[in-house]
Amino acid sequence: MRHGKISIGPKLYIALCFVFFYLPIAVTMFFSFNSSKSLTHFTGFSAQWYEKLIHDQNILAAVYVSISIAIFATIASTVLGTITAIGLSKSRRLLKEALLNINNVPIMNPDIVTAISLMILFTSAGLQRGYVTMLLAHIAFCTPFVITSVYPKVRSMDQNLADVAMDLGATPFQALTKVVVPLLRPGIFAGMLLAFTMSLDDFVVSYFVTGNGVANISILVYNMTKRINPTINALSTLLILAVVIVMVGMYIWPSVREKLRKKTRAGGRTLRRGRRGRKAFAAAGFCCMIAIAVIFASQFSAISGKQTLRVFNSGEYIDMDLVSQFEEEYNCEVVYETYDSNESMYTKLQSGSTYDILVPSDYMIERLISEEYLHQIEWNYIKNKDAIIPKLVEDNLYDPGSRYSVPYYWGNVGILYNKNIVDKKDLEAGWEVLRNTKYKGQVYMYDSERDSFMVALKALGYSMNTKDKGELQEAYEWLINQSETMDPVYVGDDVMDNMISGNKAMAVVYSGDAAYVINENEDMDYYVPEEGTNQWYDAMVITKYCRNTELAHQFINYFLNEDVAIQNTEYIGYDSAVKSVYEYFRDVEYKGNTGCAPASDNPRNEVFHQQEQKVKVYMSNLWTKVKSHQ
Amino acid sequence: MKDKPIIELRDISKTFGDQQVLRGIDLDIYENEFLTLLGPSGCGKTTILRIIGGFEEPDSGKVLFNGINIAKLPPYKREVNTVFQKYALFPFLNVYDNVAFGLRLKGMTDEIIDKKVSQMLSMVGLSGYENRDVSRLSGGQQQRVAIARALINEPKVLLLDEPLGALDAKLRKDMQIELKKIQKEVGITFVFVTHDQEEALSMSDTIVVLNDGVIQQIGTPIDIYNEPEKRFVAEFIGESNIISGNMIQDCLVRFDDIDWECVDKGFRPNEEIEVVLRPEDMDVVPLDKAKLHGKIVSKVFMGVHYEYFVETKYRDYKVHTTENYQVGSEIGLTIDPYDIQVMHLS
Repeated sequence: MRHGKISIGPKLYIALCFVFFYLPIAVTMFFSFNSSKSLTHFTGFSAQWYEKLIHDQNILAAVYVSISIAIFATIASTVLGTITAIGLSKSRRLLKEALLNINNVPIMNPDIVTAISLMILFTSAGLQRGYVTMLLAHIAFCTPFVITSVYPKVRSMDQNLADVAMDLGATPFQALTKVVVPLLRPGIFAGMLLAFTMSLDDFVVSYFVTGNGVANISILVYNMTKRINPTINALSTLLILAVVIVMVGMYIWPSVREKLRKKTRAGGRTLRRGRRGRKAFAAAGFCCMIAIAVIFASQFSAISGKQTLRVFNSGEYIDMDLVSQFEEEYNCEVVYETYDSNESMYTKLQSGSTYDILVPSDYMIERLISEEYLHQIEWNYIKNKDAIIPKLVEDNLYDPGSRYSVPYYWGNVGILYNKNIVDKKDLEAGWEVLRNTKYKGQVYMYDSERDSFMVALKALGYSMNTKDKGELQEAYEWLINQSETMDPVYVGDDVMDNMISGNKAMAVVYSGDAAYVINENEDMDYYVPEEGTNQWYDAMVITKYCRNTELAHQFINYFLNEDVAIQNTEYIGYDSAVKSVYEYFRDVEYKGNTGCAPASDNPRNEVFHQQEQKVKVYMSNLWTKVKSHQ
Repeated sequence: MKDKPIIELRDISKTFGDQQVLRGIDLDIYENEFLTLLGPSGCGKTTILRIIGGFEEPDSGKVLFNGINIAKLPPYKREVNTVFQKYALFPFLNVYDNVAFGLRLKGMTDEIIDKKVSQMLSMVGLSGYENRDVSRLSGGQQQRVAIARALINEPKVLLLDEPLGALDAKLRKDMQIELKKIQKEVGITFVFVTHDQEEALSMSDTIVVLNDGVIQQIGTPIDIYNEPEKRFVAEFIGESNIISGNMIQDCLVRFDDIDWECVDKGFRPNEEIEVVLRPEDMDVVPLDKAKLHGKIVSKVFMGVHYEYFVETKYRDYKVHTTENYQVGSEIGLTIDPYDIQVMHLS
């Protein structure tokens, strides 16, 4: 029949839409049961990530923060927004229009603007950043959405009804709660849902306004991306499940309620019980909220009792179990926060956040020293000083004499390649192998400005810290040429998963990442070109705002203990600064893994130095052109 | 019955923006009376109601309730209740909960509420509708719910703002009778607002005719109809022939060059006046007994009677009679003295 023929198209279209919407979610859920760490390579069924999730204090704390903030922000913004919408409808027309337009500004504003504005506001108001500032920020950006969804309902409401209520003896407040609010319920409900999802979803604003170790799910996941693992999938799966349950509940609830109502209609007496029941329910809900608030408050008062240490580290760059151990041993509280790059750490410092300990990279340490941001290391407190690989302290290029920093982890940049595809002889060309057209379409480049220019500069035989515009121009041309002849793909941390899956033959990676990939995929090997590379160091530093330098030194020293460093290295996967640990991994645990301990004494290796502003801008412009050339 | 006013309005004025809607309203409303505020739309009748209800505050003047000024008292503290235009039922509550709304606010026990609600619903003829959604009721039923909801609070005065406006003609008639019955049953004062003169005439004890924010006349329906004191009242209520003339002396008026006996007194000799003649009071009589002669120029059948326009020497008269005449025929007209209503020029 005609009818049947016609309907195939639309059906297919709808089916495709659904595939498009739900396939990513399905994949996420599927990989939450993966037995290995890979997010793209399914190796077998396992529930281990759920187990890890339940035991991961960080994730549980983040879930708690996300959900409690979402609940409180929803309640507050719904009340505020509804009252404002009602008030607006009673204002004079000009004022009303002006206010409605003003209300739209935060909605249209890019999140980042809202985020930075709030951050500046909180900083200048002297508010300590953390849970409260995050909650305030969420209330601030949720309220306009509530106003927008409630206001049309207020306008279409029969204004007489509030009069009727007052006529029947209701005070204005009773008229509001017993008549106006029920009338606006659909709008209020929509606003609530919107506020809740906005709050739960939010990353940008939360990221900027939080502090003191308070992180919600999105901040946590963002900082975890370096070493992303299926725990996140497990968490996502549980969240999706929760959402589905709520949705189904909301869908079924009206009919359930209808049935209940029919039952209570049997007589006046049951009707009464129904009303009392509702009151009891409301009371119970209120008690729950108070309980949550009390639990929350007690959590925070616990923190204030002990001496605290505020640590700001790169995401997934410490084994949190060791931090807990340290807390126990030294009877203190570590307020732990993470960032995703040296640059974002620096931004956070500039915005007025203060910490005791930072873990920046070489060039950033150089910068912090030059800006007199750091407190000198009192080496007599570092009992484990002699355990450190001596040259890391003695030949320190970014902090001559190691006066301000204690080495943490180190490594270099090289080429991860597939032994079965890449000919060893071709590798002798060094960085130039990345322009060998034999491997066209087989190359991942690392999406980082300085590392990409490092590759080109080293290939050309120049210093990676060059200030010479001619040399930079040549490096730029090298990269452009590579772009044209090789079709390289610039990737971020997803390079690891892609290489574990063997998607391409070569990739520019950090040594520690290479070690991790080689562990997962035996076909891979790591090679550091003879022309030299970026030799990088991350080190712990103490800021001049440190409140408890003794504890800070104890913390730094703690992570140089051999057993601690072994456990930490197992977690992180880079090369430890502790000599015995470095050697243990090189010779025993990771034996034969070329990604581990690749550090050489090649004099052509360099450390990144802080760039002059002029050079930085120049390189930055060239880099934009390279990226847009693809 | 008219011994003691329950509500007294004293020199009430009200302005919205630059529009003056009420100008110096003085009005007494008595216990147990069915008082109607009648006038065209925009005359200020609803504003008076809202001032009594407490939803508007007068710019000046007093609202006395049992002798106490309540002009600034909020609505929820007044012993009056209102039936609003278009019923204004709470859409999220069923019939029972709509009616019980006021009692719940007073914190009455469920037993008392149950009893009162079922009493009230049976009075308005809605027993058995307790659990009905109000949106699934007919207009008439919604109206009854609105009345029950207001009356259950046992107000001293019930205010009704064009409550029948949304009903069709037949239902309207039934509800008029019903309302009157309810008012007798509960024995309280009803203040009723309408622009429908028929409704006002059939239900009211007292009619207050309003125009342009000013009271034109207060009186019983019979007074208002038979003895309009102003041209506006005569024109607005019922149909009329309004003719200019002179008062020759007491009980003698001249118009159309003819002297007519009447019952009105107290005018200055030869004072210029206007005469109101209701079309049904124009008697068609044989030509020899007639004071006016004329020719029928148009004829419309109105159901109970015919409406004719009769051309006379000076003007066309509107005449209502049940007798059937042909257009073009010559007829004679006369008017009884008590059917002639003489008004001062306004």
